[in-house]
Amino acid sequence: MTSIPEAAALPAASLRSNSLLRLTLRRLTRQRNARVGLTILISLILVAAFAPLIAPYEPNRDLIGIEPVTQRQKPCIHLLGCPADQPQHIMGIDANYRDVFSRVVYGTRVSLMVGFTTIGMAILVGTLLGAVAGYAGGWADNVIMRFMDVLLAFPGFLLAIAIITVLGRGLQNALYAIAIVNIPHFARVVRASVLSIKEQEFVAATRALGASDTRILFLRILPNALPPLIVQGTLGIAGAILEAAALSFLGIGAQPPTPEWGTMLGTERNQVFTAPHLVFFPGIAIMITVLAFNLLGDGLRDAMDPRLAQVSKPR
Amino acid sequence: MRGNTLLKLLSLLVLAGLLLAACGPTGPARPYEEIDYEEPLSVAAASCDYGGKISSVAATDRLTVVFTLCKPDPAFLAKAAFTPFGIQPREYLDYTGGSGLLLEAPVGTGPYQVTEWERGDHVTFTAFADYWGAAPAAQTAVLRWSTEGAARLLELQAGTADMITNLSPADIPGVEADPNLQLIFNLNPNVFYVGFTNTFAPFDNADVRRAIAMGLDRQRIVDNFYPPGSEVASHFTPCSIPNGCAGDAWYDFDADAANALLDAAGFPRGDDGVRFTTSIYYRDVFRGYLPEPGNVAVEIQSQLRDNLGIEAEVVVMESGEFIAQSTNGALSGIHLLGWGADYPHVTNFLDFHFGSGNPQFGNAHPEIYEALQEASSIGDVAAAEPLYADANNAIKDLVPMIPVAHGASADAALASVSGAYVPPFGATQFAFLDPGKDTLVFVQNAEPISLYCADETDGESLRPCQQAVETLLEYGQDSGDTSGELATACTSNADSTVWTCTLRDGVTFHDGSAFDANDVVASWAAGLDAANPNHVGNTGGFDYFAYLWDGLINAPSE
Repeated sequence: MTSIPEAAALPAASLRSNSLLRLTLRRLTRQRNARVGLTILISLILVAAFAPLIAPYEPNRDLIGIEPVTQRQKPCIHLLGCPADQPQHIMGIDANYRDVFSRVVYGTRVSLMVGFTTIGMAILVGTLLGAVAGYAGGWADNVIMRFMDVLLAFPGFLLAIAIITVLGRGLQNALYAIAIVNIPHFARVVRASVLSIKEQEFVAATRALGASDTRILFLRILPNALPPLIVQGTLGIAGAILEAAALSFLGIGAQPPTPEWGTMLGTERNQVFTAPHLVFFPGIAIMITVLAFNLLGDGLRDAMDPRLAQVSKPR
Repeated sequence: MRGNTLLKLLSLLVLAGLLLAACGPTGPARPYEEIDYEEPLSVAAASCDYGGKISSVAATDRLTVVFTLCKPDPAFLAKAAFTPFGIQPREYLDYTGGSGLLLEAPVGTGPYQVTEWERGDHVTFTAFADYWGAAPAAQTAVLRWSTEGAARLLELQAGTADMITNLSPADIPGVEADPNLQLIFNLNPNVFYVGFTNTFAPFDNADVRRAIAMGLDRQRIVDNFYPPGSEVASHFTPCSIPNGCAGDAWYDFDADAANALLDAAGFPRGDDGVRFTTSIYYRDVFRGYLPEPGNVAVEIQSQLRDNLGIEAEVVVMESGEFIAQSTNGALSGIHLLGWGADYPHVTNFLDFHFGSGNPQFGNAHPEIYEALQEASSIGDVAAAEPLYADANNAIKDLVPMIPVAHGASADAALASVSGAYVPPFGATQFAFLDPGKDTLVFVQNAEPISLYCADETDGESLRPCQQAVETLLEYGQDSGDTSGELATACTSNADSTVWTCTLRDGVTFHDGSAFDANDVVASWAAGLDAANPNHVGNTGGFDYFAYLWDGLINAPSE
């Protein structure tokens, strides 16, 4: 006697509502940490998108002769007792007489761009390599994965520095370096998924229907390998932002006058005692952004992990 | 009874040993024999055709050395007082072969002797008991280093350092207001300049260089990025140096005239308002002439864009690489560099930078260097003035660089340290500082490279050398005037081509050997004569010998 699976007996609408995306979102929004991460991330994206409206000044425009400011002036907030006749600079003024708040706001654009671009590149290349390795197997798998192992054998940050040394300093080259360093992680994740999915029955069925390998790989296997990739990608963005900030701090990433948080920190590292606001605010910005991606990444992992899932039962 | 006698004898021997150890020489045991003064030594060029200034250095008796020059050098005394020309024992130079131990353990006649150099951490000096002059106040001096200004200041505030170098300009008001600290301004004449290499377009066009000279608001840079006491440079050489400010003052800021000049030179603004793009190269190293390199670079970048429509990329380079490339004229854009005076003479500023052999600014200009060559052999300041005026006017007209500022900088010490000072030339002598305790701790901004300063050029190496190794003459504590150190006097003949130095008698080196004229000749020969067996050093470059005396004797042909 064959038992009919529970889901098969459900109406079509209910099946749709239990699609992976909706299920994941529902699980995600049930977690407080993930909600916090998502809220911060959405706020950051809004700040980046509307930076020209939020920032009171051009990020690279010095205020010499425009306002009565002093070098590395402390924050002036009228609500907190700063005299009304002084111009308000809620995060103070930097060594080049620029408004720190405006630079931190515009820095959101740079950091998010760094995170999404580098991980996007790494996912693209890593997925392609991992998928080919996992699906083709044999010598292709060996060559690709041994090359990935070689990349993984180097500490990521040192490898990024080495790559920048070859390519030359600058934000663009830092993006390439961070992307290259992250490729092996995604290649491994995708390969592992492909190896397990390609043995499943629906793949065999597709193959039996005469589908080509390319079609099977890209239209049947890869879409099912996405969940772990999304988790890895979200967590990877946090790492990429940190790596970019560290490279800029060392002076080999974003170059002045780009309003990049790591560069802002590095430029003023010597003023930590005399003008702490110049390192505090960019540092806090980095921390909040990384925290948001980490919280969201952890939440996504929990939401997508079937072992942790509590499948909602039909009422 | 016999046992008692033996015991007494042994006790006496131990006591005698202890007495000997306490009263004997404090320096390290000498693994080489002292050579008494018998045959006078000398080093001489085959002829003056080698191009250098020194024809010979010769001992004529135990306490007399004669320097014969190929041409008069009005700055001879000022140069001879410079730390790289320190005197070490002839025997020690021969024993070390001019390298090895010599790089880490100099043997001089100074008030302190080096007793330990723990790489990466500190150099320890101990007061030299047989010093010929006044004994230092502190028995021990410890030199440490920290590259971060904030860390140095923190050490001072915590009381773990007695004196520190190179305060960050932002820290100056805080130190001034702190009753536990004292601020000491550094009076070393210096200049910060924006350099061009005229072998690269568009800086091969003098009008472009002139336009940038007019279009940079130097007053704005000094007002906003330099500590109080700094001034806009009217000339390349600071006016405190005789003849430094001969000739016309530099261009006033005039953005309209600068833009008109660029238009006429064939660099119109494009649709985006940009005339051309270039790079601004600098090194992120604190110097008195440029205390905030990164911020000044960004300010110049901003001025070039706003005032002149020149888009510039800011490129920070590793210090050594930057110096190598900029001084060899290999940087295609603008470079930010400066100069702190080694000795108080205008030749130290002008001849080095604008001489015929310097590739830093590209092809040298005969309009500048011919006047400098002629002036460099005139001892009389007034007689040389018209030539320096010509040279300065030619510099203004041809703009190989733009002199921006003469920077003020400051060191700091605990208020309890008496005698704290920073001389305008040379380094602070630890022996003059009294911390009120046995040990003086001095923190500078980098580790010395080596302690054989005949072959070093950086101030961080010259400072410790100066504590242990003395020169024939020394600079004053508050001026560039020279007075006798190991020489009691140096006198010249009528045309200043022969200098006779009478040496101080009764001076002893740290190794216990006696100082005499042959030590002077041996020390100079090791640096000056490229064929001398002790001409090894750390890099083998002996830059200051080559540069200050216009070349080395027996230099290998390139």
